[in-house]
Amino acid sequence: MDKKRITVLFLFVAFLIVPICVYAAKSADETQLCLACHGDRALTKKLMNKEILSLYVNSSDFRQSVHAKGGCTGCHSDISMDNHPVVKKIKSKKDYSLSKSKQCTVCHTDAELRKRLPIHSSLAAKGTCVECHGFHSIKSSAVQKTGVPENQYCMTCHSRQLVMKMKSGETLSVLVNESALRKSVHAKLKCTECHSGFSMTQHPMRTHDSKRAYSLQISKNCWKCHEKASQDYESSVHLDMLKRGNSKAPSCTDCHGDHAVVSTKKYRDIGITSCNKCHSDMNSSYEASMHGKAWKKGDEKAPTCASCHSAHNVESTLTTKIKEGCLKCHKEAAKAHTSWLKNPPLTSSSFAEAHFDVVSCVACHSPGAARAIYLSINDRKTGEPLPEEEILKILETDSEGLMQKIDTNADGSIDAKEIWDLFVLLYKKGTTTVFMGKMDVTKATEAHLIGGKAEATRDCEKCHHPNAEFFKDIFLVMKKADGNTRLLQAKQDVLNSIYTIIPARKFYALGSTSITLFDIVFVVALIGGIAVPIAHITFRVITSPLRSLRRMGKGGKK
Amino acid sequence: MTRIYLHPLPIRIWHWVNALGFIILIITGAQIRYPNYFQLMSFEWAVKIHSWLGFILLANYCIWLFYYLLTLKIKIYIPPLHHPIAFAKKALRQAKFYGFGIMVGDENPHHPMPDDKFNPMQQVSYLMIMAALIPVQIITGLFLWDPNLFGPAVNLIGGIQIADMIHIFLWIFFSAFIIVHFYLATLGHTPMAHIIAMFKGYEELHEEHGHGHDEEGHGHGGGPEHAEEHGHSA
Repeated sequence: MDKKRITVLFLFVAFLIVPICVYAAKSADETQLCLACHGDRALTKKLMNKEILSLYVNSSDFRQSVHAKGGCTGCHSDISMDNHPVVKKIKSKKDYSLSKSKQCTVCHTDAELRKRLPIHSSLAAKGTCVECHGFHSIKSSAVQKTGVPENQYCMTCHSRQLVMKMKSGETLSVLVNESALRKSVHAKLKCTECHSGFSMTQHPMRTHDSKRAYSLQISKNCWKCHEKASQDYESSVHLDMLKRGNSKAPSCTDCHGDHAVVSTKKYRDIGITSCNKCHSDMNSSYEASMHGKAWKKGDEKAPTCASCHSAHNVESTLTTKIKEGCLKCHKEAAKAHTSWLKNPPLTSSSFAEAHFDVVSCVACHSPGAARAIYLSINDRKTGEPLPEEEILKILETDSEGLMQKIDTNADGSIDAKEIWDLFVLLYKKGTTTVFMGKMDVTKATEAHLIGGKAEATRDCEKCHHPNAEFFKDIFLVMKKADGNTRLLQAKQDVLNSIYTIIPARKFYALGSTSITLFDIVFVVALIGGIAVPIAHITFRVITSPLRSLRRMGKGGKK
Repeated sequence: MTRIYLHPLPIRIWHWVNALGFIILIITGAQIRYPNYFQLMSFEWAVKIHSWLGFILLANYCIWLFYYLLTLKIKIYIPPLHHPIAFAKKALRQAKFYGFGIMVGDENPHHPMPDDKFNPMQQVSYLMIMAALIPVQIITGLFLWDPNLFGPAVNLIGGIQIADMIHIFLWIFFSAFIIVHFYLATLGHTPMAHIIAMFKGYEELHEEHGHGHDEEGHGHGGGPEHAEEHGHSA
């Protein structure tokens, strides 16, 4: 019984081993035979696209490779010791490597690749195995990885023209420009410090909706190290726009690039070039300004876009104060303004600051720009302007219906009573508001045309006059979901009405926000004040005979 | 003719500085508000003068306050609220005098004395002006003068537009008041009597020959004999 079993086992092993030995022996002969010719360095083939393909195989490399035992025909299955096609049309090296990579999948099946490292399956489908793994000198991946720095390992594939396909059908090149990466501020970082989830053993398969969706997602990786910048970005109009569904709004990589990230301290022009990708219409006015001219002359201290608008917490210029940007350089601005903008008998910089709170710097410093008053509807609790969508929600209307809802008399512009009604309506719905005014230039391009100090407006009566030139245009302003600004034209006299005293209670300009009704009260009081003595005197004159008579009577008595 | 020292020097200085200050403040205030109707001076100068005078009158108010508090004479401003009915009657009698008595030659029911200077109507209105309206006008003026410096206080009353509204209302009140005040000052035994008294300090009590105290009570508690027809302290 035992002998019988041993015999069966022997036969079984022999059945397995013999073909392998035969195959190996055959392979060894075959390899030797192939290398007889292909061991010649001069052996080449001219391809159809006129490229020269070397047919040389390094014998020792091949013998040490993981495929040595398979012999040449293990991969070059169309060639055998008996049959070597003489003419074989090959279009190009690329085409040839593609066709040879397909050969890999005969052994390395899709199922196996999916199981071991899923990314292979999608890469293999594109037929680029040889590009990463090499061909005749191929080693096992374990050997290949040994002693290889991580970045170099990643670059094995990513230095090649690889693409990632998106659900949208777009393709994203995942080629990493190695020389740019080495010059970048991130040169010393490992790839996996940004591309978390990846390692020399892990390469998850991911699918993204679109290139944009991917860049937005990858930007979040920057936040891990750049905490302060990310916090600033959180409060920016850009992130706000993204959150509201405007995918054109920039994320980190849109401004800073991806692998070629440069130091923003050394390359300050990123503060112009990156903004110009979207805001190129502002560039000519910036270049014409004294700031732009200084920058062009090479003044390192000259402000770029980011200097005033901030790099990360970029905010809407109409509904918030951009002056902080100006004051970064012009630190002594308030003090400097006290040379003429003062409140006697003291010279307090807080008086200048009171102006800065409601007048944008450019409203005075952009000579010739058109100005207007912008009333933003601020939530009293937060002090922040209510965005359009919140107002729409409270008023239960849509963007198209908003003006109709506010402009109840449908005359195309909002009057004081309508502002009051809006204030009351918002109040009844639980939101107490403050209509906060700000004077600003009407065109964003003009905002950048900042001139010299001598050109700035110093004429107080441009604002402080009942017919103030700068108070002719008044708008209700609100931030739209897409980051743009919604303006609703108001009537010129809205700020002179008793209806706006409460809504716009924190906005006041001496001389120009005077309440007309109070002028009437003044005149009536003045007339009254004069009329009382006149009437009294008149009665005294009329009654003087009475007094004379009485005096005479009293005298008579005596 | 008897003379009583009704207006001590600090009060006379305070009064005339205040009077002049008020008039100029009213005018510069109007200039700031109505540059399109008249142009006595530029906006800048109107603001400059208005601000300076505001502070001068603030200091002046302090002179008044300290004088009256330190000398305890502040009580002449305080109506006798412990006798409200008697006070109301006196006030009514005073109003009746201005509205009717003065026409028919009645004697002024009130006879000013250093410790009982004001008639009930004056007492109420001056107390209101000195204790409330002028301080409020000064405070709102300060708010408008530098809204940032007084930011928290400005927010407390709602906002700068509210401060302006109060300041304007009081400006309107004082404009009308000063006219009436000036007219009432001319109702002494001669039109200039009270005005001169406010310069010299002494009020002349004019006695008409043979004129005894008739129907009205005196109410000045043993002062000099009073025979003025309608003596009044403005």
